Amino acid sequence: MKNWLPIVLLALLTLVYAADRNSGPAVELNASAAQPRQVEDVTEKAITRDYANAWKVMETALSENRTDQLGSGFAGVAQDKLEKRIEGQRASNLKVRIVDHGHKLDAIFYSPEGSALQVRDTAQLEIEYLNGNSVVHREQVTQKYLALLTVGEDRWKVRVLEEEPKS
Amino acid sequence: MNRSFLHGRRSSRASASARERKSKNLYLVLLTIAIAIATCGKAFAADLKAPKQATAGEGITITAGDGGELLLFGPGGASKRKVSAGDVQIAGEDVRAAGRYVAVLDQATAEFYVTAAKPSTVNFLARPSRVPVSRPDAISGVAFVFDDFQNLVLKPTPVKFDLTVKENAPTTRTVESKEGIAFTRLPSASKEGAAQFVASVGGGTPVRRVVQQVASDACNLRMKAQKTDKSIIVETDPIKDCSGNAVPDGTIVTFIEVTDKGRSTVDARIKRGTARAELPLASSGTISVASGVVTGNELHLGGGQ
Repeated sequence: MKNWLPIVLLALLTLVYAADRNSGPAVELNASAAQPRQVEDVTEKAITRDYANAWKVMETALSENRTDQLGSGFAGVAQDKLEKRIEGQRASNLKVRIVDHGHKLDAIFYSPEGSALQVRDTAQLEIEYLNGNSVVHREQVTQKYLALLTVGEDRWKVRVLEEEPKS
Repeated sequence: MNRSFLHGRRSSRASASARERKSKNLYLVLLTIAIAIATCGKAFAADLKAPKQATAGEGITITAGDGGELLLFGPGGASKRKVSAGDVQIAGEDVRAAGRYVAVLDQATAEFYVTAAKPSTVNFLARPSRVPVSRPDAISGVAFVFDDFQNLVLKPTPVKFDLTVKENAPTTRTVESKEGIAFTRLPSASKEGAAQFVASVGGGTPVRRVVQQVASDACNLRMKAQKTDKSIIVETDPIKDCSGNAVPDGTIVTFIEVTDKGRSTVDARIKRGTARAELPLASSGTISVASGVVTGNELHLGGGQ
């Protein structure tokens, strides 16, 4: 029995690692400057988890030109724009592949009743632009985003996601 | 003779080698020029210029050094088109979404940012939907400022919040948005009723929400009791808050009877302004009444009352 223990532990570690990998890119949230309400610990964890999920969903959607999963991470304006973007990509046989190296979020605004949160995201991304299956451009960028998240049925969803011009 | 012959052979050999060097240099110069021309040509062909920033919904011009297939990737779409060398017009409808755009033509790329157009509307969150009267900072309004193309307008924009109850003068606040968001806190009015909470940006359509302002906690809660053969009937006077607004029907009022046999509690709802309950018959003891955190008068049983 003792001989099996390391194997079981290793298998568990692998599962945990795999689960972690499946949960999306690395996201760090600094909520200390949020106004006018302080972000609760539980909300911080939920935002981190759900924002990572949204990016994972978006990356899959953009690389596979699929819109079916977008609703699990996005809502409203952000979802509409992504759907249009993917529709355009599909019509032109274009794709975008993102290798996500992580996000640093700074909470800016947390609404008084706790249903909307605005963050500034500094994302480290490697982006490949594809025409058909050939990569026509590849770039490594540090891009700032302004995101607005609102509480959905059982999770936070991205309602606005806009890139900010480089200052 | 031999000397001059030798000298002649030497000088002809030297001039041959000089010619060879010259032609080698010429070859190198020509090669360099050819490479330079090719490189310049390539660089020119690969040239793609775009303005650094554009406004959402307004067309832009991209300058292409050569013809080919221009790919445009943006936050609200992606497109492919054949273009000739020179100015390429990108229609306003292709750059409606704010964010970063990347144009690719052959080996050349150009990036530009589209920023929101002028503010035209707000998304408005008003909380809570029901609020007691006369509470400071009880109502909060959050407005998200958008342009015609659903882009969050990041430029500071004045947002006007109006809160009106019935015929009273509105409470107005103008708040400048920050990163596309403006928020305010307002006190609830002293009179109950449906308050119209409106948020608007200059020239845009106002967005209206209703906040029901209801009576606050009961004030001067009083009851009277009447003994019958089987029980004691207790009933409050009309229940009002301190501003004179009737506390809404359905609000719970608790009657507590404490006698030497024990304690009886009855929760009754306000119905047509008063609350009424039936308590067990007792010859002595006390009856008290409360609504929320407010306690009312106390009645003492006994002495045949």
